[in-house]
Amino acid sequence: MIATIVKKEILGHIISFRFIVTLALLLVVVPVTTFILTNDYLKKIDDTSLRQAETETYLRSFGHFNRIGSILQATPAPIPFHSLVRGLTPDINLGQFDNDPLPVMFPLIDLVFIVTIVMSLVALIFAYDAVSGEKEDGTLKLTLANGLARPKVILAKVTGGGLTLLVPFVLSLVIGLLVILVHPGVDWKGADWLALALITLGTALYVMFFYGLGVFISSRHHSSSASIMTSLLVWVLLVLVVPSLSPYIASFLSPTPSRIQVDREVGRLSDTERDDLGRKLQAERLRDLIAKYPVLAERMSEADKKRLMERDPVAREAFEAERKATQGAWDEANRVQGGKIEDIRKAASLKEEAQTRLSRLISMASPLSVFTYLATDLSSTGLRNEEHFGRISGVWDQAFGAYQRRKIADLQAKDPATDWWNTPVDMSDRPRFVYSEEALGGRIEAALPGFLLLLGYGLVFFALAYVSFLKYDVR
Amino acid sequence: MTWTIARKEILSNLLSYKFYVVILLAAVLAATSFFVMTRDYKERLADYGLIRPKPGEPIAVNPPNPLSIFAKGLDEAMARSFEVETIGVTVRAGQKSGNAIFAFFPTPDFLYVVRVVLSLVALLFGFDQVSREKEGGTLRLMLANQTSRSAVLLGKWAGNFLSLAVPFTLVTTLGIAVLGLDRDVGFSGNQVLRLALILVLTLVYIAFFLSLGILISTLTRRASSSVVILLFIWVLLVFILPNLGTLVARQMVDVPSVRALSEKREQVWTREILLRIKGQGDMPSHIKTISAENDALEADYRVKFDRLVNLSKNINRISPVASFVYAATEIAGTGIGEEGAFKSEVVRYKNAVLGKMLASPDLESSEYPAFLYRYRPLGRVLAAGALFDTAWLAAFGVLFFALSYLAFVRYDVR
Repeated sequence: MIATIVKKEILGHIISFRFIVTLALLLVVVPVTTFILTNDYLKKIDDTSLRQAETETYLRSFGHFNRIGSILQATPAPIPFHSLVRGLTPDINLGQFDNDPLPVMFPLIDLVFIVTIVMSLVALIFAYDAVSGEKEDGTLKLTLANGLARPKVILAKVTGGGLTLLVPFVLSLVIGLLVILVHPGVDWKGADWLALALITLGTALYVMFFYGLGVFISSRHHSSSASIMTSLLVWVLLVLVVPSLSPYIASFLSPTPSRIQVDREVGRLSDTERDDLGRKLQAERLRDLIAKYPVLAERMSEADKKRLMERDPVAREAFEAERKATQGAWDEANRVQGGKIEDIRKAASLKEEAQTRLSRLISMASPLSVFTYLATDLSSTGLRNEEHFGRISGVWDQAFGAYQRRKIADLQAKDPATDWWNTPVDMSDRPRFVYSEEALGGRIEAALPGFLLLLGYGLVFFALAYVSFLKYDVR
Repeated sequence: MTWTIARKEILSNLLSYKFYVVILLAAVLAATSFFVMTRDYKERLADYGLIRPKPGEPIAVNPPNPLSIFAKGLDEAMARSFEVETIGVTVRAGQKSGNAIFAFFPTPDFLYVVRVVLSLVALLFGFDQVSREKEGGTLRLMLANQTSRSAVLLGKWAGNFLSLAVPFTLVTTLGIAVLGLDRDVGFSGNQVLRLALILVLTLVYIAFFLSLGILISTLTRRASSSVVILLFIWVLLVFILPNLGTLVARQMVDVPSVRALSEKREQVWTREILLRIKGQGDMPSHIKTISAENDALEADYRVKFDRLVNLSKNINRISPVASFVYAATEIAGTGIGEEGAFKSEVVRYKNAVLGKMLASPDLESSEYPAFLYRYRPLGRVLAAGALFDTAWLAAFGVLFFALSYLAFVRYDVR
């Protein structure tokens, strides 16, 4: 019997006007978005290789270790998944002089956007009259008069409606994927396809949640015009309001020091305060030395010093000791201030992490955020990827540091007096930063709670719909 | 007669459940948005207090704009600090950068509430104007009384517009008044004028969606199909078209990525400094080269970026929602045009400071000019496109109303 009602639901939806409009809308929007994003991705690849070529050219003429840190920096690379999901984009770039304000004004569209905004609304449009509409038409009475159990009816309604909803989505996605397959420049690997399959599964859960919610609202109302009104209100809150407000609420509950403030403090610690400390330490240490070597108290020019050192071994020892003490004092000052700076930075970043975690947690009251995190993490374009990028760029930093030390040691072995800081070096054998996505296993593990949460949300609303329907007055 | 019908509409709205729920939702959202964005503004103001340059420091910082509470736009980008050094400009951004969740979801400013929620509310007021009365049978009765169809339609439009606009204006004005009392915020006369303009623009925006709702209502027989069609149009206008348009424009105009630009800047100054260490040329000439190359990069980017912006604006204007966003942000002084003007002001300031640095033998001075950014006057903002966008929005509203008149005249009321 369930099969019959499911079939009836599916057929009823498929010939409906809203189904045709949804199908048409998705069939246009998804392939167009995929096409444009694919081109965008190919452009980004060109841009990346151009940038790399320019860096190589630069290094051939100006490869010095001085300031190399600002030239050689690990940058995230475009990944094939960008032809479907944009995720967190680096374009806004507020930390640099050059920034791109357009995405701030209009967030760019991608698959996640289509699913979260369009599909959730479509699900509610499909579901709002599932119960109240049938009651208005009088068909609900007739159905139940046939000795059908209510649990069967509601189960069949949710399954049938949810399945019908996925048809236009999957169909448009398949056409979108043809774009990706046809493009010679885009090379999707097995892991990408698997991730996409999982994202589609997440989409199914997300859509089912909204369908269940719609049926629940529908079975709380006796007229379909009232149920669409309530559905829209709930949709506005869940989809538009909760996610946007969550970071603001979190920043209210768990404030962080502003980055500008931290930068200022760090600047003070590493500049004026370090100098004060260095001078103080230097004076202290030299005072002891002067007691031991009176010659140090005399003011003389560098040339005089050199001459004196050649003549007098004691003076030589004294100047050596002075040099060492000065160096030691400044090293100590740098160490102390460096420690303070690290503490400040660490405290600030701990607070930032706490705030990010809290924002994430609050936002997950909305299934939109849950799905967004799940999809961006699976496609390695989200928060988890930022952490992953931080890790692999840290590894590269260390490798390059080791390379730099080895090169400098080579230079010094050749000529101890060399100014290795400013000598041109052939860096063509340097370790290069190669961005690689995190293995799929880790991404799936990260997305798993999201799946469970979506499933849980869906089940809750299905249960509510079930209970409401059991008590529904069908007359 | 029109007025009688308008009154009837207002009264029936006042008695309906929909009216209270919707108005309450809009009011709560607007209030929440004011609260949240005011806090955000104050935090940025506190940041500004920290980094405000002391007299003589070569730093360009623009205080956050109080109107960003209503339309945040690019204010975050404009309130960064630009420290001028011989080798270029060091940029520092505020605290948002620490929490990536901000980047995931749109900013809940007043503009967002209006753009998304209020448009939906206006549609909900319009969607069943004709079809509901037809279903209820009252339309027949009304027209049997020799009321002209134009009077009915106009009365319906006016009644619903007023029942939306009046509570909305009240709530917003109240919010603005409360903000005005806040000592940290303090709007200037000019800013109040700008706010008033934004409010007018918002009313035009509401009128546009109301007309659209009535148009679809006159084209459909049943309220339920009218609401489905309207929701699809709404998603298309508010979300899909403006966001897709920017991407489409990007396909047609080649703009270097911001990362490529930043890398080039790094290369320029490190190259010049190394050449200097090697003993080629004197420092001032290297500084001049760095500055000139950076300016050339910026100028080149600006030209391409302006082309991109113009194209994407024109594509986006297919959806009048984009026009609304452009006009509102430009009037608030947080739009793309204002940001461009601000950036060129920063470049000019940098060159003035560099001139001062180069004039002294040790490349340092203790007295640099202070940076002061003057927002473009309202007249110029309006002339530069805000007026056009407003007119464009209004024209669509009028067009839809005219179309709904045409459809209503032929409407079968039986």
